[in-house]
Amino acid sequence: MITLAIFLFFAVLAVVSAVLVILQKNAMHSVLYLAFTVLAIAGVFFTLQAEYLGAIQILVYGGGIVVLYIFVIIIVNLKEVVPERRKLLPKLFIIVTPALLLAQIALVVVRNRYAVAAGEGPGLDLAALADMLLTTYLVPFELASILLLAVLIGAVIIARKGDMHDPR
Amino acid sequence: MIPVNAILGLGLIIFFIGLLGVLFRKNLVIMLMSLELLLNGVNVLFAGFSLHLRSPRGSIFAIFVIIMAVSEAAVGFALVLSYFRRKKTYDADDLNELKG
Repeated sequence: MITLAIFLFFAVLAVVSAVLVILQKNAMHSVLYLAFTVLAIAGVFFTLQAEYLGAIQILVYGGGIVVLYIFVIIIVNLKEVVPERRKLLPKLFIIVTPALLLAQIALVVVRNRYAVAAGEGPGLDLAALADMLLTTYLVPFELASILLLAVLIGAVIIARKGDMHDPR
Repeated sequence: MIPVNAILGLGLIIFFIGLLGVLFRKNLVIMLMSLELLLNGVNVLFAGFSLHLRSPRGSIFAIFVIIMAVSEAAVGFALVLSYFRRKKTYDADDLNELKG
């Protein structure tokens, strides 16, 4: 019961601040609400007994990505507001598609067949997670490190000033 | 005890808010933030079903999703920076030509 209460608290917090992220005109305010959302979702992870995921969420999102966003907004000096104008056909599309998706979400949530509640009994074993990550999923794990290396090099090459063939 | 419907609803609603942000906003930086919201919604679903099915596979997959999100944010920002340096704008509607 108390778990459900904490879950609902963090869930409401996450949804409200997620709505505020996309409603802000100033991008810096959006980043602050994004940090709020991310930390609330980390709280949701903790109530779902995914402690490792929650810790990674706080470290990577709260400590890394949000700071990256803030730095980029400072660098590009994102002050001027982009005018939000759309033509008729895209406007129709962006209203109808989310409406259909919302109907689908309501349908799935209201009448799904998972009657059993999650989260009873002992929690997930962190040792089992580590064991599976480093044996069964070893190849994707190593591929992820190669992906991160490629991203590191690629981001530096894309974002640097001047031509790529320029030796400076 | 958390009902599965609540987890499902939370994950899908966050995904939905992110989708709305990507579709409605035209500021490139805020569109990237909405992408983070999309991936976070999916992660909530993974964590919830990982608990529901008593298997660490959901958490492992969510970790890979986080790695992917970090890569996407870094490359996306590099592209936004280089685009801004050339065009001095962040409007997604100005991204309509192939040559730099």
